[in-house]
Amino acid sequence: MAEGAARSAGIFAAACLTGFAAGLFGVGGGGLLVPLLGLLFAFDQHRAQGTSLVALIPPTGLPALLTYAKAGYVSWLTGWLLIPGIFVGGILGGVLAKRIRPLRMQQIFAGMLLALGAWQAITAWWR
Amino acid sequence: MILEILLLGLGVGVLVGLLGIGGGVVLVPAMVYLFRMDQHMAQGTSLFVLLPPLGLGALIAYWKRGQVDLRAGILCALGMLIGGYFGSLIAIPLTSRNLKGLFGCFLMLVAFLLWRKTRRNSYSPTLVAAEKTGG
Repeated sequence: MAEGAARSAGIFAAACLTGFAAGLFGVGGGGLLVPLLGLLFAFDQHRAQGTSLVALIPPTGLPALLTYAKAGYVSWLTGWLLIPGIFVGGILGGVLAKRIRPLRMQQIFAGMLLALGAWQAITAWWR
Repeated sequence: MILEILLLGLGVGVLVGLLGIGGGVVLVPAMVYLFRMDQHMAQGTSLFVLLPPLGLGALIAYWKRGQVDLRAGILCALGMLIGGYFGSLIAIPLTSRNLKGLFGCFLMLVAFLLWRKTRRNSYSPTLVAAEKTGG
């Protein structure tokens, strides 16, 4: 029981950390929560992904969104226009993923993301 | 401009469905570089776009295969709700320049985690089978 409570507290703490990053950087947080559940709490990949989806269904980003909105940092029109494309594109991508093995593409994407991140950090601070 | 935004949404959606990545990681830099949006504005808009429960279909699929830990998931939702609020409080007073730099560091971390995941998955399906049986 005590062990279960400690594990639950740990999962909650990891989720708080993920949420902190999500609010700080304006992202969903699944990309961080899934590896954390796997690394720290020995969830296998599928179970980590399935469990993280539970956390991504309720609008957990709402308090963060309200903070940004209050400061005038939301472009509502752009947001409304992006949503239908992401919905349709997500279905297309899912169909495509069943036909090809996305592993290689994930690796290429990880490389591109690394370069993009480095470039963004360098242009922001060493210009 | 409207057409460009619609097309960007479609492109991000395809990447999300194909690669199983979160949309915000692509959306924020795309809005900053393609639409010349301020870093804060791109992040706030991304939070708005990610609000609808687009993962519901995927959740049902995982649920049917018994790959959801509901208790842990609810704990995670609560944690992200609280953490997200404090994260946004920190982000607003930062200068756009610092936020952009920090975001770059965050992207590198996400890239590392994604790369690590592909290394793990490349041993499947044997490893996945072993994980399922608790090995």
